[in-house]
Amino acid sequence: MSAIVNKPGQMLWFFLLGGCLIAAAAAAGYSFMVGHEQAFNVTRGVPWGILIATYVFLAISCSGLCLISSLGHVFGFEEFTLICRRAILLAILCLMGAFGAIGLDLERPFNMIYTLLSPNFSSAIWWMGTVYGVYLGVLVIEFYALMTDNHKLSMITGSLGFLFAIAAPSVLGSVFGLTLARPFWHGAFLPVYILITALVSGTALISMVMYFQHALRGLEMDEKDRRVIRLLGRILRLMLFVLIFSVFWNIIVGLYGAQPGHYEPVKALVSGSLSANFWLGEIVIGLVVPLFLLMRKNRTPFSTMMASLMALIGMFFMRYDMTVAGQIYPMRQGAKGLTDGLFTYSPSVSEILIVIGCIAFSALVYTLVEKFLSLDLESEHHSQATPDNS
Amino acid sequence: MKKKRYAIVLDTRRCIDCKACTVACKAENDVPLGDDKFRNWVSEEPLRGRYPNLGQSFAPSQCNQCENPPCNSVCPTSATGITAGGIVTVNPDKCIGCKYCMLACPYDARYFNEETGVIDKCTFCIQRIAVGRIPACVETCPTKVRTFGDLNDPNSEVSLLLAKNRYRVLKPELGTKPFLFYLI
Repeated sequence: MSAIVNKPGQMLWFFLLGGCLIAAAAAAGYSFMVGHEQAFNVTRGVPWGILIATYVFLAISCSGLCLISSLGHVFGFEEFTLICRRAILLAILCLMGAFGAIGLDLERPFNMIYTLLSPNFSSAIWWMGTVYGVYLGVLVIEFYALMTDNHKLSMITGSLGFLFAIAAPSVLGSVFGLTLARPFWHGAFLPVYILITALVSGTALISMVMYFQHALRGLEMDEKDRRVIRLLGRILRLMLFVLIFSVFWNIIVGLYGAQPGHYEPVKALVSGSLSANFWLGEIVIGLVVPLFLLMRKNRTPFSTMMASLMALIGMFFMRYDMTVAGQIYPMRQGAKGLTDGLFTYSPSVSEILIVIGCIAFSALVYTLVEKFLSLDLESEHHSQATPDNS
Repeated sequence: MKKKRYAIVLDTRRCIDCKACTVACKAENDVPLGDDKFRNWVSEEPLRGRYPNLGQSFAPSQCNQCENPPCNSVCPTSATGITAGGIVTVNPDKCIGCKYCMLACPYDARYFNEETGVIDKCTFCIQRIAVGRIPACVETCPTKVRTFGDLNDPNSEVSLLLAKNRYRVLKPELGTKPFLFYLI
């Protein structure tokens, strides 16, 4: 069992997460009592809100974590074996949080049984649900194999998990990409773009966890820990660089030629109702500052963690903007409730509380597992940090 | 006997924007009150010309009962289906309320019915067709904008209208093959 230094902040952390969960449960109960129409700000024009964005954010983070961890126990890069257990555990919890978000967004979640009884194989959502459902099972077995040091099983499930980590986000991207009626989403771009963002989310999340699991437990980072954080920082830097190009071309393609239905959402991102989210959330916080931090020669684990945290916040904005922007262009002339010719959406208090609850759930269960199970490898020997080097 | 293929032909030049079709539909199909709860609607097109020479057209519409409906393709539980006669329906017992069909429909024909807790849409008043009646919106229109009938019957009123007049469908480029025809 890990040697965890009891800190006064620990109790506060559990209270905070517990409070978030209670608030989210209350919001979810309220939404089922009064109906989603009353509790959520989704409308006929914008039927998918922040809960779907959160689902995408968490599900994609899961795939990214899996891809990064596979570098260690599937592709044999020794340095990354350090992160495998934590990455797979986080992947499981992110996916459970994602299922929570989408489950609470569904009006009749219990009718999900009909995905088995009368499946529609031409539905991208059916494929997404099925792939992520099986994927969760694979991840649970993979985590068991890693915890019991069953290398053969972890290799098999890790390889399977890797394939699912590629397939799942691209299928998720296809949910948006196959929507012919929505030019902002439609096309082959989203399935590929989402895969890139999965790597950003996964790398950023595991970098943060690697930093905090040392800093908060008062453990000193050895050379191996520093090296893996440095490598994660490099991967994140590369993926952010690729992502900047993806975002750039997505915007240019949208603006060029002013194609109706594609142009307006992009215009809303660049200079309309979503511009603060786009420029501040996505570009500055999510891409430029993290890239700047990661390009510095003398970067420390702390600055890598900061870059990761900011990239992760940027990722959330990216999911939100992608989800909302695709819907704001009305499908017919004369639609009511438009502002400057477009629908608007901002999440309700209930929606925000449920989002916080889903993230808090993942964080709480992770902290509990970290507290009561040893996620360190046998080969790791940590020493307590002295005050001046922690 | 040849299978039926129901369609509505609209002559929008006759529309006076009285919205009797929307009211009749709401009453017939228990559509809840509310600005964004409707199975059919009348869109007001922008004003043309300059005062005092002004003109305006109105465009009534509803589900296009497409032959290739995107809402049917995207439904994960097969709650959406196509009945005999080509009418696209929602089975409320199977609908999970994911609202993917609302996003996939290029005509904004679907809405979430908070009273039933599932997605709802125009069915050409399938319950009336079953007993030999025409849809409520068709029956109630004072200027007879809509004509309902079986396109597979060459002598039906809709077949004759489409034979004698030029017409258009909405968003043909999407390949949905709509069965709402607008006379030009």
